[in-house]
Parts: sequence; C-alpha cells; structure tokens
Amino acid sequence: MFKIAWRGVRHNTGRYIATLIAIITGVAFFAATGFLGDRVIDSLEGDTQRQYGEVDLAIVLEDSDSTAIQFEGELRLPAAVGQQAAAVDGVEASAFVLTGSMAIDHDNEDPDTAVGRLWITDDALNPLELEAGRGPAEAGEVAIDTGTADDNGVELGDTINVLSFNGSDPVTVVGITRFGDSDSIDPDGTISIPQQVAFAWLSDGTEEYQEVYLRATASQSDLQADVSPLLPSGFRAQLGEEFLQDKIDEIGQFGTILKRALQGFAILALLVGAFVIYNTFSVIVAQRVKELAVLRAIGATPKQVRRALRLEGLVVGLLGSAIGVVAGIGFVFILDFVMTIALNVNLPGSGVLIKSGPITSGIALGTIITVLSVMIPARRAATTEPIEALRDAAVESSPYTKKRLYFTATLGVLGILAVLTASSATLIGVGFFAIFVATIAAGPIFAVIGAWASRPIMSRLGLEGRLASDNTARNPQRTATTANALLIGVFLVTLVTVAGTSMKDFVVDEIQKIESADYLISSNGGTLDVDLINSLTSVAGVETVESYRRESVALDGKPSLVSTANVSTLLDITDIEEADGTLYDLVPGTIAVQDDQGHELGDTITLADPRGDTVELEVVAVLEFGIDIEQVGNLVHADDFDALVGDTAPTVAFIDVAPGVKTETQEALEDHVVDRPDLTLTDGNFLGKLIGSIFDFLINAVNGLLGMSVLVAVIGIINTLTLSIFERRRELGLLRVVGMVDKRVQRMVRLESVLISILGTGVGIALGLFTGWALIYAVQRLTEADIGFNLAPGRVLLVLGVGIILGILASLIPSKRSTRLDVLEAIQAV
Amino acid sequence: MSSTPTMTAAAARAVNARKSYGGGDAAVHALAGVTVEFPEARFTAIMGPSGSGKSTLMQCVAGLDRLSSGSAFIGDTELGGLDKTALTLLRRDRLGFVFQQYNLLATLTARENILLPLTLARAAHDDAWLDEVVSTVGLGDRLGNLPSQLSGGQQQRVAVARALVPKPDIIFADEPTGALDSRTGMEILGFMRRAVDETGQTIVMVTHDPHAASYSDNVLFLADGQIIDEMAEPTSERVLDRMKQFEG
Repeated sequence: MFKIAWRGVRHNTGRYIATLIAIITGVAFFAATGFLGDRVIDSLEGDTQRQYGEVDLAIVLEDSDSTAIQFEGELRLPAAVGQQAAAVDGVEASAFVLTGSMAIDHDNEDPDTAVGRLWITDDALNPLELEAGRGPAEAGEVAIDTGTADDNGVELGDTINVLSFNGSDPVTVVGITRFGDSDSIDPDGTISIPQQVAFAWLSDGTEEYQEVYLRATASQSDLQADVSPLLPSGFRAQLGEEFLQDKIDEIGQFGTILKRALQGFAILALLVGAFVIYNTFSVIVAQRVKELAVLRAIGATPKQVRRALRLEGLVVGLLGSAIGVVAGIGFVFILDFVMTIALNVNLPGSGVLIKSGPITSGIALGTIITVLSVMIPARRAATTEPIEALRDAAVESSPYTKKRLYFTATLGVLGILAVLTASSATLIGVGFFAIFVATIAAGPIFAVIGAWASRPIMSRLGLEGRLASDNTARNPQRTATTANALLIGVFLVTLVTVAGTSMKDFVVDEIQKIESADYLISSNGGTLDVDLINSLTSVAGVETVESYRRESVALDGKPSLVSTANVSTLLDITDIEEADGTLYDLVPGTIAVQDDQGHELGDTITLADPRGDTVELEVVAVLEFGIDIEQVGNLVHADDFDALVGDTAPTVAFIDVAPGVKTETQEALEDHVVDRPDLTLTDGNFLGKLIGSIFDFLINAVNGLLGMSVLVAVIGIINTLTLSIFERRRELGLLRVVGMVDKRVQRMVRLESVLISILGTGVGIALGLFTGWALIYAVQRLTEADIGFNLAPGRVLLVLGVGIILGILASLIPSKRSTRLDVLEAIQAV
Repeated sequence: MSSTPTMTAAAARAVNARKSYGGGDAAVHALAGVTVEFPEARFTAIMGPSGSGKSTLMQCVAGLDRLSSGSAFIGDTELGGLDKTALTLLRRDRLGFVFQQYNLLATLTARENILLPLTLARAAHDDAWLDEVVSTVGLGDRLGNLPSQLSGGQQQRVAVARALVPKPDIIFADEPTGALDSRTGMEILGFMRRAVDETGQTIVMVTHDPHAASYSDNVLFLADGQIIDEMAEPTSERVLDRMKQFEG
C-alpha cells in the first residue's frame, strides 16, 4: 500500500510541488523559531551561569516597590558594609558591583556612551573574559569590550579619553573583554575600571556599591547568618543557589515567551498551509477521477482508495516536514537577520542551536496537518463510482448551495448579535469565532458574488478580463479555499493594525491629558550645580527650572525614593496632586507618601538611610498616582532631608517651558547634556511616547510575523492557478487558435490571480475592520472607556495594495505556463 | 487539377511542403513534399488513412503548425515569415475553425461563443448575418445557454456558427462530424455546403468518412505524406471505392 502511495506521489510530483513548498515553508518557519528560541534561552542561561554561577551569597536589594519604572538612583550599599561582609570568616573572594554612565571620547568624534563597570578581580566571580591583555589594576588603566574597541578603532595599548563624573581622563587600554557569546555585558558597551578610581568616576565620590557577591569555603547558609546582621535596612543576603535560580527563571521566562510567541505565528503559517494542501489534494482527486474509478472498477474498495490517498498525504507530509526541518536551519539566519534589520531586535547568542525538540515537533506538526488536510479529499475520492471511468474527467461542481447560504448567514448573524449585545467576554469571544467560521465557510458564496460584481469592470479590460472574472466563479470552492488562505493573514494584519492603533491612540491620549512637567533632567550619581541650572534657565523658551534633592532610602524596610522641593512650584509645574491631606502641611517631622503604599493620614513611617540613620515621620498627605510623582517618590521637609541625607546638592530638576516652542527648546536643552554622561534629559510625557512606541513595535512585529502566513497563501494562489490552467489547457488552446494572442492569454491568468487575491484581501480587510471595530465597541461597553475607533485608512489601503501586488507576483509563473504548451498540443489534449 | 478553372484564385496553398519529426534515420516524414491549392469559394475535403499526413497538412496551412521546409500561403501571405503573434492575429482575422471536440468556452453562452473571434478582434458584427447563420444552424432559442446545457450536436452547431459568422477567408474543419451521430453529422455538413453555395465561403475539411467527403466539391487523397489522387464531384460510393484501393 505504501508503495502505491509513494508511486502516486512520484507520478504527481509536479502537482505536489506547491503542497511541498507550503509544508516546507511552514515547518521551516516553525523549526527555525524553535531553534532560535532554544538558542536564545541557552545563550541567556549560559550568560547567567557565567555571571552568577560561582556566587555563594549575594547582597542585593529587598524586593523594591512595584514602581513601573526603574530609576538610576536606586538605594546603594555603603562601601564599608561591603568590605565588612567580604571580611567575614569563610569568604574566599568577593565581587563589588558598581556601574555608572561613562563615555569614550576618541578621535574627536562625538563621545560614545558606555557603561563604566568596576573591574572584578576574582576570575570565578568576574562575568567578563579577557580576549587580550589584562584587567585594569591601577588608576589610568581601563579594559574595554571588543565591540566598543572595534567601533572606536581602539587597540590594546592605545591611550583614549574617557568621560565620567571626574571629567575627561586620559587612560591606557590594557585589556579587551568579552561576555560569553556577546561582545559586551551591557548593550551599549562596557568600560572596566579599577577600584582606585571607581567611586570618583562612577558615583561622584560617594563610597558605595550596588551589589556584592561573595564566594566562600563556608556553607552558604552559615555565611548568610553571618552577613545578614551587617546589612542596612533595604538590603538582604540571598543564598547563591536561590539567587542564580531567580536570575535563570527571569531570563528563562523571557526566552520561553519569545519562543512561544514566534512559534504561534509559525503554527498559523502551517494552518494557512493546510488550505493549500487541502486544495491541492481536492484538485488532484478531481483530476484523477478516471484513475480512481478504474481502481474502483477493478475491485478496490472505497476504504482502500481512501487509505491510498491518506497514505499519499502521509508521504507528502513526512517528506515536506523533513525537508522543512532542514530548511529551518537556514531559516534561523533569515529570521535573525529580519529581526535585527527590520525590528531592530538583537537576539542573544549566535548561530543555530539544534535540539531534538523543534525537529520532532516540526515533523509531527507538519505531518499531522497534512494528513488532516487530506481527510476530506480522501473521503471524496472514496465515493468515486466505477462508472466515472467512462465519463468526462474533471466535472466542475458548484457547492454554492442554498443550505450553505442559510447556514453561514445564520451563523454570521448570530455571531454579530453576540458581539454587539452580549455582556460577557466569553460570549463575545464565541461570537467572534462564529463570525470567523461563517466568513470562511461563506467563501464560495463570496467567490460567486465577487465574480458577478467584478464582471462589468473586468469586461472593460477586454474578453480576457471577462473570462478571468468568469473563471474565478467556475469552481467557487477552489477559489474560496485559495482566497481564504490569504484572508486569514490579511484579517489578522488588519485587526491588529486597526485595534492596535485605536488602543494606542486611546492610551496615549489619556496620558497626554495629564499635565505633567515638560522635561526632567537628572544626574546619575552626580549633582546639578548652580551654573548648570542658571544656564538651563537662560535657555530661550524655558520658564521655570525647579531643581530638587532626591535620595534613595529604605521606607519601612523597602527601597524607595524621598525628595524635598519647593511645594508651591512643584504643584504649579507638575501633575503632582494630593489624594488626601495637603502638601502645605509638610513641616519637619512629616511626610507626603505615594498612594500605592497603603498608608493613611496620621500613620507613622520609618525612613532609613544605608548608613543606618533612621527617622520617624507622620503622614500628612497622600499623593495621587501620576507621571511626575514617580520621579519624586515621597516628599519630606528640607530639615528632615538634611538630617537624614545631609546638606547635598540637587540631583534632579523639572523644567517648564513656554507653550509652542518645545522643539527648539529641546534642542537647546540637549546641547547642555552632551558633555555630561551622567545627565539625562527626558520628555516629561515620555510615558506616552514610550507606550506609543511599544504599541507601534508590537503592531509592526506582529504584522511582520504574519507575513509568513501571507507568503504561504501566495504559494496557494500559484498552486491553484497552475492546476487550473492545466485543467483548462484545451480551452486556452482554443482561445489561441481562434485568435487570442499569448500576451492576452497571460493577462487573463494574471487578472484571475489578482481577482482571487483581491477577494482574499478584500474580505480579510472587511472582516478585520469589522472585528476591530466590534472589539473596541465591546471593550467600550464592558469597561465604559471612551475609545475612539481608528480606521487607520492609510495602513488598510497599504494592505489592499500589497494584496494586489501579491496577486500579480503569484501569477508570474502560472501566466508564463499558460502559453508554454504548443497550440496544437493544447487543443488536442485529452 | 485539370478540373479547376484557372481563373479561380487560391484561398490557400502549399508549395513543396515538408514536415518531419525527429532527425536522421529515425525521422518520420508526415509531409513529403506536398504542393496543393485550395480554391476560393470551394469545399475541399482531405482524405487518407491514419498517419497519411492529412491533419498535418491542414494544420500547417492553417497556421497552427510550421513546415520543416517549403511554404504555405493564406491568400498571398506566406506563413513562414510570420511570428507567433502575427499568426495568431491572422487566424483571428482571416480564418475559422471547427474541431471534432466542439471546443467551446464553458463560461460563455452560445451567442458569446459564436461572437468570440469578433470580440477578440473588438470588431462589430452584422446582426442580420448573425441571425441568418443562427437560424440556418437552428440555434434560435438556444443562444443564451451555456455549452454544458447543450447537446453535442447543438455544441457543434455553435462551433460552425462561430466559424461562419466572421466570414473568414477560409474555414478549416478537422473531423467536424467525428463525435456526432450520423443524422446530426449530415445536418452540420449541410450547413457547410450551403455556406459554400450561397455565400461563396471557402472550406477545407479533413475527414476519414467517405460520406462526409461526398459533401465537398473536390477530394484530395493523401498517403505517406503525399497527394496521390484527387476526385471532383465525389459521391460516397466513389470515395469509398477509392479508399479501398489504398488498403488493397
């Protein structure tokens, strides 16, 4: 039986090519995402292992407040405490972690920012490897990562200038570092500096570390017991193995999510491929009716015929999947390239990591989908009557029945009703599914309507246009299946674009409504001196510069921020507002806290600084959630701030500018920041921009990945057209005999292709627009949020345009083939 | 060719036409040097056993196939000098075709099929003439039907009407009655005969049926790629007798 199936496949190679390509493409994409996902997970885990594998005890921050934004100025451990911990009995080696903004100023180009990092002298604890040279050991020496070295044309032994809090310093490059598979541990590059200059360069002279890792001969838990009592409030000593596991879980989650998301798109592409497979087998069965009927006539049972077809499906599925997995290896590079170029995402690791998981699941998935797609055509083949051996082959059937019309109309209307009126999310979901199923099932009806509607326009293009229009309705089921493959991709692209854009506009608008400060300028570890503030104030367009002092502290044992500022200016130029109490009550001994900490007026709060000083304060105001409050944290009176932190200089400033001159002002402000790597200028409404760009990225990424299923759908169009022109070769021959020149015949095939793609694209866009609108409407109804529907007409038109171009591209091969046969051969074909 | 009046111009002709397939010793000569004229306003039948080259001769003169050597003319146009597109346009504007397998377009109605060559040429048609042809071939109430709704005989009537309506210089018919029952076949031949007699249509027909040949003015007999005989004013019996001779 297998032999007959294999022969069947070999005999019909030409017809199976498109099916094979569809399976290969889908499986290759699937396998590639698997390989890539494994590579990313592996590389990240390797990096984590390299970075933290030898740590026996880690001194880290307590879980900090659930603030959405990470601050540069987080709570730090006094250097003395770190040294004390490193001196505990049983500690073999220690690593002090301290990083800060630096820049390389080389060859008079613009300074190239990088992360300055205290060099860890213990080889086991140091995540970096030396590619050349040695680690920096004394002032005036640095090591830089290999990527930064290449970018700046720096070689071992060169003298370069580095910018830091200390200003510009000439240093000698004594080492070139790398981090596992990557050039650098920090995305922007790493400058490793020795302990001698670390505090001056990275924290403006303050002697402190961010984290401390210990390697020990003593047991981890003994060490924990010894070290914990030394730590100030806000810090804890975590066992090495727990610490490593936390880090691995963190990055494992990222890798797994990435892998699952990518594979989701791959599975979608395979499902679209199922349409192509189904179509091919249906056509093959129709074209082989005579052969099948002869088989039946000589005594094959319907069951045997069915099994033979399924076996052919199995053979094609296995073959395509196996080739697909191999092709997947090459696909990893394409995928990697596309992610890097188009989406600007640099995935960790390099090359391909081949694990058995993606291989077996790829082959299994491809084969199963193929065999399932063959089920219906195989059943149809089994119903072939022996008498059909004597009839004309390829009888064209029209499944455009009233039953189908009633079924799809009922299902569609019920779905629409559910979506528009239901009050439960589940029912609405079921409604969407019903609409989708109805649309797919109504394909043949759309094909007939489409042919009818397009005929008047197409007729204007000449007889070939009219015939192209007719041909799409000749076998509506086949046209529908072909168009549906494209429909799915276009539907999802439209839905994601329209719903995504609408949601983005809504969220960004909501954020814009908040009257936050125009700009924020902050120093990472340094201060804003009076000269700087004066020169910022003198920038044309700037109305107010309100600098304030901010410090990281432990608030009731948790890392948090505390600030002191001029209350009335703050209320004037920022969106900070009291939810309860008033900021004007802020006197020594009191505090205004953020709303999310669960405190009420009158509560007593303990603030602790890393040196162990504490102060108790009474809550006199609770501040509402907003953008600017995240930059301030909790507000205290200047006296309390002085007592706790000392009489320090301000580190942050809000800048208020005159309306209408933001662009010019921003450029002037940015000029002030260029020479100070520690300074950052952020748009006050950066949250809106950030969220907007996240939405844009997601929309683009999802659409890019959906492109894969669109590609498979295009293969489907090529396939259908090729099979159709084979079936109609006599008719094409006649047209050429009676005077249709080859160019017009080819144009006819091209027009048919474009019609099919417009059908798929058009219905897909319509469904996507409706679903997008209904989705927004449902969200509005359920949440009472006032979300405007954004039709995104530019994008939608673009999708339609791409659909038409794809139709033309898909027709290139079939239209050439349509006139390849000699006229005589064509007209005499049986 | 003594029976052909010399003043009658040739609608089509072949001069020393040769057509071979393959090469060297294995070469098959479908036409081994045929020189022939198809006079205007006459009905010529080409007969011969299978493999005699009768279809090849017609196809080469009709611009469907190319000669290996020699030349074929439609009127004064030498076909060898025309490219593929020019040949197609020549077929469209000057020739008509009727095949054994009716070869209609499945998505076009009978009327649209009949007007197909004119539609392709974007040429206007003469309504009166269309009506006349349609009523002659007896398709009056069937014009709106698709081929799948017509019988074999009706489909062939559509094919004949399609060949007649543009008033081509010459109609080539390849076994036009091969797939029909004898009564329908006779009717189809009758229409062709009438077209020649009443409107001066030129027709060249390939057939192996002596009865079909008897409708023609002149029968050419081919064997082994050469014209071996011809017969004016044929009757079924005479043609049959002549055919029996080659087999003997």
